[in-house]
Amino acid sequence: MPEPMASPEPAAALEPAASPEPAAPPPGSTRTGPGRLLIAVYGLFALSASARAGVQIATKFGHAPVAYVLSAIAAMVYIVATVALAVGSPSARRIAVLSCSVEFAGVLAVGTWSLVSPATFPDATVWSGYGSGYGFVPLVLPVFGLLWLRRWTDAARPGARSRRTG
Amino acid sequence: MSSVNGAVPTTIIVAGLVLAGYALLMTALNRRMGTSLLVALGVLEILLLVLAGMIVARLASGGRPAELPTLIGYLIAMPLVPVAAGFWGALERSRWGPAVIAVAGLAAAVLMVRLHEIWPVIHA
Repeated sequence: MPEPMASPEPAAALEPAASPEPAAPPPGSTRTGPGRLLIAVYGLFALSASARAGVQIATKFGHAPVAYVLSAIAAMVYIVATVALAVGSPSARRIAVLSCSVEFAGVLAVGTWSLVSPATFPDATVWSGYGSGYGFVPLVLPVFGLLWLRRWTDAARPGARSRRTG
Repeated sequence: MSSVNGAVPTTIIVAGLVLAGYALLMTALNRRMGTSLLVALGVLEILLLVLAGMIVARLASGGRPAELPTLIGYLIAMPLVPVAAGFWGALERSRWGPAVIAVAGLAAAVLMVRLHEIWPVIHA
């Protein structure tokens, strides 16, 4: 009954700001709205992955060198993605797209590798088993990151879009 | 006094999950950050500091986990989680502020499980 007039398309549910302002400005930055949540999760992974890789490489590198090097690479990707999303300038967004893509490819590649050749991974990396040790968050995180970053790719060419439709 | 009292980690797991559920409800209801979430976050922070103190006391009395550097890393990072989430979430003026708090609650719960793996005397 007191149903507020919902926005017509449910796809717009991500951003509830259907205020009667003129031209809906694309979200100010990659660090506001859903981006705030993304950066929180990326920051958490950047911190935990780099701390873990640092300890492993410093204390027992010979035990599982491949796994630890891959952990360190994953940690760097998370750090770059966190910073790039938090900065949010056009060039930072390109870096964020690149790091999310590398991250997604890395999860898929390392995940497959860890299943095909378990002997290479006596100790787990963040991306082992497609991130199964971390609730598969490493697998879905880059997908959400790329979906979030798509907004600016789309917003950058509104002309291209309207020309096609109109 | 042979182990860290299990009540505290268990309380943190419950508190973290309850906080995460409440915060996600706020996000679903399209609510912004409020005092209640910050107070709940403060309670979680106090619990984490109490646990950190208990672990330090255990270390001081001669106990050693297999991976001491990892444990020390957790001791430093653990109390920072609610603080960082509080500031980061408070900066947000939309439903996504509470969502950040939910991450902190879930992280606190997961940290307890990991702590137990690092040093089994810390009961979860």
